[in-house]
Amino acid sequence: MPKLLIVDDELDVREFAANFFRKRKVEVTTAVGGEEALSILDNFKPELVLLDIKMQGINGIETLKRIREKDKDLKVIMVTGKKPDEDGSLNICQQLGVLDYIHKPLELAELERVVMGALK
Amino acid sequence: MAIDYKKELEAAAKSMILVHEPDVLIRMVVRMIVQKVEVKHAGILLHQKEQDTYILTVSRGTAGLKIPAGFARIDADNALILFFKEHKDKELFDDGMLVLEEAKKLLEKDISAQLKELLEQALYQMEIFESVACIPSYFRDELLAILILGSKENGEKFAQDELDFFAALASDVAMAIRNAQLFTELELELDKKQKLFIHTTIALSAAIDAKDHYTRGHTARVTNLSLEIAKRFLQKNKKELDIKFLEDVNIAGLLHDIGKIGIPESILNKQGPLNEEEKKCMHEHTLIGVTILQPIRELDQAILGVKYHHERYDGAGYPEGLKGEQIPLIALIISAADAFDAMITDRPYRRALSKKEAMEEIKRGSGGQFDPEVASLLLELYQEGRI
Repeated sequence: MPKLLIVDDELDVREFAANFFRKRKVEVTTAVGGEEALSILDNFKPELVLLDIKMQGINGIETLKRIREKDKDLKVIMVTGKKPDEDGSLNICQQLGVLDYIHKPLELAELERVVMGALK
Repeated sequence: MAIDYKKELEAAAKSMILVHEPDVLIRMVVRMIVQKVEVKHAGILLHQKEQDTYILTVSRGTAGLKIPAGFARIDADNALILFFKEHKDKELFDDGMLVLEEAKKLLEKDISAQLKELLEQALYQMEIFESVACIPSYFRDELLAILILGSKENGEKFAQDELDFFAALASDVAMAIRNAQLFTELELELDKKQKLFIHTTIALSAAIDAKDHYTRGHTARVTNLSLEIAKRFLQKNKKELDIKFLEDVNIAGLLHDIGKIGIPESILNKQGPLNEEEKKCMHEHTLIGVTILQPIRELDQAILGVKYHHERYDGAGYPEGLKGEQIPLIALIISAADAFDAMITDRPYRRALSKKEAMEEIKRGSGGQFDPEVASLLLELYQEGRI
């Protein structure tokens, strides 16, 4: 089974997204923030990380930077509530190499397509 | 125990009437469905006009199934939306809702390729939401919302009375959203009218100031001071902020001397004290004010302030010689503010008093010319440096 790590500080989002992809035959682990995500990476070895940008503590961009220090090629999809041009985060994410960048509220069908496509 | 959906619906309808915020009402509806019908999860997709998209704003139910508020949306070109927009005349399904099992049966039948494709895509979207029934909310031709329902906890199919219950709730939701929109529009409209009215009143009050040279700015100052006293009165008496009362005080303050429009300028602007006959004429301005304002029914309370703002607490005022509590509060307030402002401005026949001297006069007049409570409020405001 392909492996997906979901990083979001909102419990409802973690629960929903985990359930959503488990039903699509994906092995899912969740992390409540950047620090936990980084500590999980080595053991879990996901093929893809779904990473929320706005989080308490280490935010998504900072987490992405630290992921890149460990692994230059790991697939990452960013999830954000902000429009891309609002804080320039899209630019930073692109420089750090992300697969995609999805805005909330999102189309679940699009989330499914992007994530399942990346895991194939 | 079976649920009496009619009763539930009646109860819901009663509480819905009281809710002007559609968000609150939608949360109520979703909570009720999850609790009463025992579905695994329920949510509402709400139309956002500006972006022409439908956002799942409320969702409740089992962890992992309920979709976090604001997390998911579907756009106007989504098959589920298109299906409801194109099939609102209920020709496909009796109640106009999309129930998974019924829809699957329809797919087996001889239907056009176009409808088949649309229906399949709509069902795919339902599957993504893990929904077994979707109920549209329309107002006229507009698709305002879609109720998204998960399966029942006990795995059973929805009974007809349950489907009817959902349909009724969906139509109530539509009505409530529409009402809330109308309510907001109405409030904006009212706000505009209210502003127009206040500005008209201010323009009218400027007419008095223009005629009476010695009272320039007097009207605005009396109005502001009266409002300060009125607010303090409400505070002291631990009354809720009575907006209507403050509005009346505002209008009465602005218009308290409107009757001076009917007084000859030779008397209004006379250099020196008035003789008895002139005084009598001057006193007429309170009743002339009433005559001017009387046709405006909404001003009945403000008119009391205009009519009686020269009454005295001890009964020696005019036009009726009312005494103590016979004098409406609004008039007692205007009277004190009016007298105080007159004292601290120059008049043809005397120089202005200092605020301190004027305050001494107010104290001396407490229980005589002035209502003791209003006089003490005025004193308080002065001591706090607010006037």
